[in-house]
Amino acid sequence: MYPLFTYDGIKVTCGVLATVGLYSVLYRENKFYRFFEHLFLGLAAGWTLLTIWVENLKGPWWDIMVGVPPEKAGDPIGNGNWAYILLLPLGLMGYMVFSKKHNWMSRIPIGIILGLWSGQQIQIWYNTYGKQIAGTAQPIWPTTWSSLTVPNYDKLQLAPDALAAAKSQVYLSQAITNFLFLVTVVCVLSYFLFSFDAKSKMVKSASSLGRYLLMIGFGAIFGSTVLMRFTLLIDRMYFIWIEWFNNIILNRH
Amino acid sequence: MNGQKSLGEVLQSLPKQVLYIILIVFTSVPLFFPVKVPNQPLESSVDLYASLMAVKPGETVLFASDWTNSTRGESLGQFNSVMRILMRHNVNVVLYSTGDAQAPRVAQDAIAKLNEERIAAGQKEYKRWENFVSVGFFSNGEATINGMGTSVRSSFNGKKDFAPGRGLTDVYESPILKGREKVSDFPLLIVVTGSKTSNITVERLSGKVPIAFAVTGVMGPETGNFYQSQQIVGFASGLKGLYDLEGLMEDGVNNPDKSGNIAVKSSKYGPIPGFPGEKNDGQGKRYYPTLHFAVGLLILAVIIGNIGMFLSRAGGRK
Repeated sequence: MYPLFTYDGIKVTCGVLATVGLYSVLYRENKFYRFFEHLFLGLAAGWTLLTIWVENLKGPWWDIMVGVPPEKAGDPIGNGNWAYILLLPLGLMGYMVFSKKHNWMSRIPIGIILGLWSGQQIQIWYNTYGKQIAGTAQPIWPTTWSSLTVPNYDKLQLAPDALAAAKSQVYLSQAITNFLFLVTVVCVLSYFLFSFDAKSKMVKSASSLGRYLLMIGFGAIFGSTVLMRFTLLIDRMYFIWIEWFNNIILNRH
Repeated sequence: MNGQKSLGEVLQSLPKQVLYIILIVFTSVPLFFPVKVPNQPLESSVDLYASLMAVKPGETVLFASDWTNSTRGESLGQFNSVMRILMRHNVNVVLYSTGDAQAPRVAQDAIAKLNEERIAAGQKEYKRWENFVSVGFFSNGEATINGMGTSVRSSFNGKKDFAPGRGLTDVYESPILKGREKVSDFPLLIVVTGSKTSNITVERLSGKVPIAFAVTGVMGPETGNFYQSQQIVGFASGLKGLYDLEGLMEDGVNNPDKSGNIAVKSSKYGPIPGFPGEKNDGQGKRYYPTLHFAVGLLILAVIIGNIGMFLSRAGGRK
């Protein structure tokens, strides 16, 4: 059968229409774009609603509350756990935020969530930044002058002990890298000294350098972002030209 | 003024529709002419590959699949490559998602396609329930991942997946989850993500289980911080990370080919085999050369824009 008239063919063709529809906004705002935008949002919202019931509420809450039905005839029905019903009013209170008269009730579940969230923050902060702060303590003085740069360990062919010893040394190139790293950290931190008016020329210079270093960092991040956007476009083009046009319309694999 | 635009003004006032068409041409034509781009894999990608290959056959890993078709360009290829390695290495997988409600379905579809590929190649099917279970979507990522730090079993309480001949069954009845109560009972946690769930995973589970990431290019710089401070064991970032991974699957690490040449050397590891002759190429090989054309166009556009600006300024001074 010609692939366009198979289930996969129809599915991919619909995908191509949606892709072209959404990209048509690049020309100008139009009804074709609006249709596919609403279609996408509707599908996503419907899918999410169903998933939350099936995967988050039914199994972990409803089934446990009402008891598990027998898998086959003759099996005993599982016991229900009525206490799970107490979660329902607590959850519904969250929706009272829409009522002018009863919106105070919504503060109870929000308060519980905020309390739990706040309680975790110290541990979370340390887990995220603790090791990174420790990692800023880098040696800035070389421990060996046998080589100015890190040697190519693969070519040295050292015994394991000698290899470990060679790797534990700080070479000049590493020391310079670490020094630049340290200067960057200090300068960037000095840029965020808002608590007092920095009058010292040194602090002002460090702060100014910190601003430039931040911009270099943001530039690198922006570069990665542009590459990713290009990749997403390339993927759509592959979908249209290869997966649809080449594989389905031209029937070539 | 004679009403005619100078060259500088013309270069600076190209209609955006023309630019879009040029961009579409540059990102479409190279797809029909794939070329191999020389590549040296990043250390972070080598570490990701080594950590995947270090999992013993028969073991079970946790796998957070937190991407959907919105980041398909990068995430699908990363997911496929990681899954291919785990499948060929006979490692079992517990799939879960905290990033998006669509993510579990997207991951299952990707596994189904990989299974078609395996069956076509005469390999064993990677079976649901016996080799992988899909725990599904959790709407509150922070709470779920935090709970996993205390007890994976409690976090997965009430979650069901399809068992052969039994229908929906508690995931903890699957043989691959037997005896695995805590997150430390798993040798590795892999996160393939297009959202901030990687950060949440480090926040909540760092130090409790070895963590490896495959993230989108946007997230690469911030994920690099986690890698440099050894909070994660390895990661692949964007299309470059994917291209690295596909190359590593072909060449391995410190792994001599038939003529004795070693394509990827690393003093951190002993020989790690690749999977030469199997289907290792995917989106990385298909998209990476095209990305170079797109970036070339971008650089060209910046140069033309600047030339136009200088010509306009020079014309204005006359």
